[in-house]
Amino acid sequence: RQRARQRRVSAQPHGHNSHRQDAHQPAAPTVACCVVDQFLEVKMAPSEEETAPAPASATAAAAAEAAGTEDNGTAGRDLKALAKEAENTSLSLESVTDGKSERGIPQVKFIDDIGKFAESFNPPASAELLIGAYSDLFSKFKAYEQSLSQKRLTYQQKIPEIEKSLALVKHLQRKKEEGEAVVTRYNLADTLYTKAELDCSSGIVNLWLGANVMLEYTYDEAIELLSSKEEIAKRELDEVTQDLAFTRNQIITAEVNISRIYNWDVRNKRSEKAS
Amino acid sequence: MSASGGGQMLERDEESENEVRRVDQENINKFGRLNARLYEVRGERDGLKKKLERIDDASTELMMGSGDTVMLLLGDAFIEASEEEASEFCDAEVDKYQAMVDSLEEEESAILEEQDSLKKELYSRFGKSINLEEK
Repeated sequence: RQRARQRRVSAQPHGHNSHRQDAHQPAAPTVACCVVDQFLEVKMAPSEEETAPAPASATAAAAAEAAGTEDNGTAGRDLKALAKEAENTSLSLESVTDGKSERGIPQVKFIDDIGKFAESFNPPASAELLIGAYSDLFSKFKAYEQSLSQKRLTYQQKIPEIEKSLALVKHLQRKKEEGEAVVTRYNLADTLYTKAELDCSSGIVNLWLGANVMLEYTYDEAIELLSSKEEIAKRELDEVTQDLAFTRNQIITAEVNISRIYNWDVRNKRSEKAS
Repeated sequence: MSASGGGQMLERDEESENEVRRVDQENINKFGRLNARLYEVRGERDGLKKKLERIDDASTELMMGSGDTVMLLLGDAFIEASEEEASEFCDAEVDKYQAMVDSLEEEESAILEEQDSLKKELYSRFGKSINLEEK
């Protein structure tokens, strides 16, 4: 016995179990259509609305791509009705996003009333189109979250290195003030360390600045430079962390929107069937 | 023939008619954010605990010590130091890391508290339609 069922909203932290949802439309031939690959597979009945002579599915898919609206997502969409709808709709990226955060990350629009939202487009948007739009956003945000996580990792590696150098220079400065020499074993080659005696009275360190450049600094200058570098790195780390949290919010919002649109659609179809 | 849909689909009698309001969306977002932060905090704290262990071992070695000139690893080079200096250094590091671990543990329990209150609210509103548990 086929029945349409609602979908559970899941607020889980890491990874996403790919939700494979099947909406069985009772008593209608079903055509599988890929809205966004890897994420959602919605089996839909072919639309009864199309009146124009149906173009061949290949050209419909091409037309869908060429229409260039953001919500079209992937190829393989050979459902003529959806392609036709995508051509004619006024749904665009702006309609599903709500401006940007202060650092230019678009904010996903939270839909208060799905029915009204769908009606607000000309022609009224179908659930599949909306889900497609939000799935698209979702995958974009996921990709962005990945790159932000990478960035964050890089910063998290940079900071301890700066701290190590800073500690070393501070130690040398202390020794200079105490007037003692420093005996050290340093890395001569990969597996070879050798003994050296440092005369701290010169008060000079050489700092490697990257790009094959090394500069001489006094202890104070070096400490200043390294401290400011450390501060900047920590500040950027904070920013990236905030952006990451914001992006995660948008991902969750998009996901919840998709679930709600799906459920709304299920309810609608059910009430249509009942009437 | 109805597919079970990977455990994400609800039975008909489990469905809730509650609409998700903006406020609910905010709560869900907050919960997700807190969860992510919780994992980070736990990761950091475990890393610090390992470091503490290592320094502890080092101090013990020092005490049993061979006498003089211990090598301290600063940056990428070894600096000769007396036993005293090395012990001071180790103690300072221990204090620093311990303080960080303490603040992280405080943060963790604050997060867990907040998550609990959010869970209560969201479950009361959505019942089975929402899943807030760990995998």
